[in-house]
Amino acid sequence: METWVVTTGLIFIYLLVTLGVAVVANRHMSVNLEDFLLCGRRAGFVVLYLTVVATFHSAFAFLGSGGFFYTHGIGFWAAGAWTVLVGAITYVVGTRIWALGKAFGYITPADMLADFYESEAVRMAVALFSVLFTILYIQVQALALGYIVEVASDGRISFEVGVFVMLAVAAVHLAIGGLRAVYWTDVMQGVWMYVAVWAGALVLSFELFGGPVELWRAVTDQRPELLTLPGPEGLFTPGIWVGMVITLSFGIVLQPHMMIRYYTAVDGRTLKLLGATTPIYLMTLYIPAALVGLGGALVLPDLAQADRVFPELLFNFAPPWLTGLILAGAAAAAMSTLDSILHANMTVLTRDVYQRYLVRGRSQRHYVRFGQGIVLALLAVAYWLSLQESALLVSIINLSGSGALQLLPAIVGICFPGGRSLSKAGVLAGLAAGVATLWWSLLLDPNPVGIHGGLWGLAANLAVAVAVSAVTTRPSAETVERVHGEVERFVYGDDGTG
Amino acid sequence: MNRHATIGATEAPLYAACFAGTLPAMPRPDPLRSLWPRTRNGRIAVVAFAALFTLAMPPVTHTVLNRIEPTVLGLPFFFVALLGVYSALIGVLIWAYRQRL
Repeated sequence: METWVVTTGLIFIYLLVTLGVAVVANRHMSVNLEDFLLCGRRAGFVVLYLTVVATFHSAFAFLGSGGFFYTHGIGFWAAGAWTVLVGAITYVVGTRIWALGKAFGYITPADMLADFYESEAVRMAVALFSVLFTILYIQVQALALGYIVEVASDGRISFEVGVFVMLAVAAVHLAIGGLRAVYWTDVMQGVWMYVAVWAGALVLSFELFGGPVELWRAVTDQRPELLTLPGPEGLFTPGIWVGMVITLSFGIVLQPHMMIRYYTAVDGRTLKLLGATTPIYLMTLYIPAALVGLGGALVLPDLAQADRVFPELLFNFAPPWLTGLILAGAAAAAMSTLDSILHANMTVLTRDVYQRYLVRGRSQRHYVRFGQGIVLALLAVAYWLSLQESALLVSIINLSGSGALQLLPAIVGICFPGGRSLSKAGVLAGLAAGVATLWWSLLLDPNPVGIHGGLWGLAANLAVAVAVSAVTTRPSAETVERVHGEVERFVYGDDGTG
Repeated sequence: MNRHATIGATEAPLYAACFAGTLPAMPRPDPLRSLWPRTRNGRIAVVAFAALFTLAMPPVTHTVLNRIEPTVLGLPFFFVALLGVYSALIGVLIWAYRQRL
C-alpha cells in the first residue's frame, strides 16, 4: 500500500474517533449553559492537566517550534523558560482567578474584569479584544492542519481542501459535545501528541544520524552557528529573548481559552498541582522539537517553508504507519487547541455580547444554539485567513500573545490587593494605547531597538493606564473590598486586615 | 501569617467600629502585603524561583551560558545548562506545592 494512503487513512481514523467522542459527550451533557461552557466546574486533575497542556501546545509546538529551531537554532530553547513561567503563573495568578470565579460565578474573563472595574464598556472591550487576537491563533491551527493533510497525502489533497475538512470536523465536534467533548478529546490528544513528538524525533534521529547524541555532534560539526545565540539570522537578542518569554507565557495564559480552564477546576489545590507539574510536560516537549528542527536543518536545508520540516522528514524517512500515527498526533495538537479557542470565543461572544446586550431572557437551549452558530462563523473567518499569505506560525502566535498580554495590568490589579486600583477609563485607555503601540512595534517597525514588540505594547499600556487612572474615578470601595477580600480569604485565609 | 492571632489593643477599636457600622471604609492593605509572601517558606520559594529564573534570562544566557563546549554527554553546554535550570525551577514549584504554599 502506498505511503500516502496509510498516512492519510490514519489521520481520517483519528478524525472519526474525535467525532465519536463528541457523540458520547453529548449524551452526558444537560441543556445547561454552565455545563456546556464550563463543564460544570468539576474538572479534576488528570483531565485538567491534559486539557491544559494539549491546549497550550498547539500546532505551534508541534510544527512551529521545529520550524523555529530549523531557522533560528538553539535560541528557541527559551521555550523552556516560558513554559516554566506558565506553571508559576498558574500557581499564583490562576488560583486567584479560580477563587474569584467560584465566589462570584464568573464564566468568562470579561465577567471578572467588568465586575471589578464596574464597567460594561470594559466587558465589551475585553470580549472583543480576546476574540480579535485569538482569531490569529485559530489561523495558526488551520494553517497547520492544511500542511499536515497536504504532506500526508503527498499533495493529492490540496491545502485548501485539507483545511476545510479539518475545520469542519472541529465545528461538528464542538457543536455536538461542548466543553465536555473538548476535555475528553484533549485527554486523548494530550497523550497522543506527546508520544508522537518523542517517537517521531527519536526514530528520525536514529534513522538519519544513529541517535540523538550523534545528531547533536553532527550539528556541532556542520552548523555550529545554530547552537549559540543570537542564532544564524541574529534574531535572539536579549530583548527578543525576554520579550518572547513574557509574551508567550503571560500572553497565552491570559487568552480566554486558557483562563476559562482555570474556572473549570474542581478546587484550588488541584490548580496549584497543575501549576507545579504542567511545566514538566510543556518544557520536555521542546526537546524532541529541537532534535527535529536542528536535524532537519542538516538533512533538508532548502525547505521553502520551515514549519513543514517535521512532516517532510517523516514522509521522506520514517515508515508509513509511523508517519501516519505521528501526523495524526500533529493534527491532534492543532485540533485540541482549535476546539478550545473556538469554545472560548463562542463563550465570550454568547455570554458577554449576545446574551447580555442583544437578546436577553431566552432559553438555555437558544443560547447554546447561538453559540454553535458562532463556531461556524469563526471557522469561516479562520478558513479565509488560512488562505491568505502567512508568516511563520511562531510569528503569528507572537502577535496573538502580544495582544492578550495587554490584559495583564488590569488582571494584576484584580488579583493582587493593595495600592490604588486602576480605573475603568484607565483600563480602556491602556488597552487602546497597547494595541496602537503593537501596531507600530510588531507590524510597522518590528521589535524596535531589539526589544520585543509585545513589551513595547505592555509598557505603553501600563503607563497610560496608570496616568489616566490617576485622574479618573476608580472602582467603589465596596467592590474593591468584596473582590480583594475574596482574594485575601483564598490566599491567606483571612480578609487581609489581620 | 499567624492564623491564631488575637485582636490587639490597636485593632480593637477598628473591629468595634466595624461591628457598630460606623467605620466608613476598611483600611487599604499595604501593596507589598499581597506581593511579598507572608510566610518563611513562601519567601524561600519566591526568592529561589526568582534567583533561578535569572539564570535563564539575559545577560546570563547570552554570556556565561552561550557556548557549545564543554559538551555534556555529547550535548551542547547551552542546552544542558538551561535544562538544569528549568528542572530546578520545576523543583521549586513542586516544593511549594508540597509545603502547601
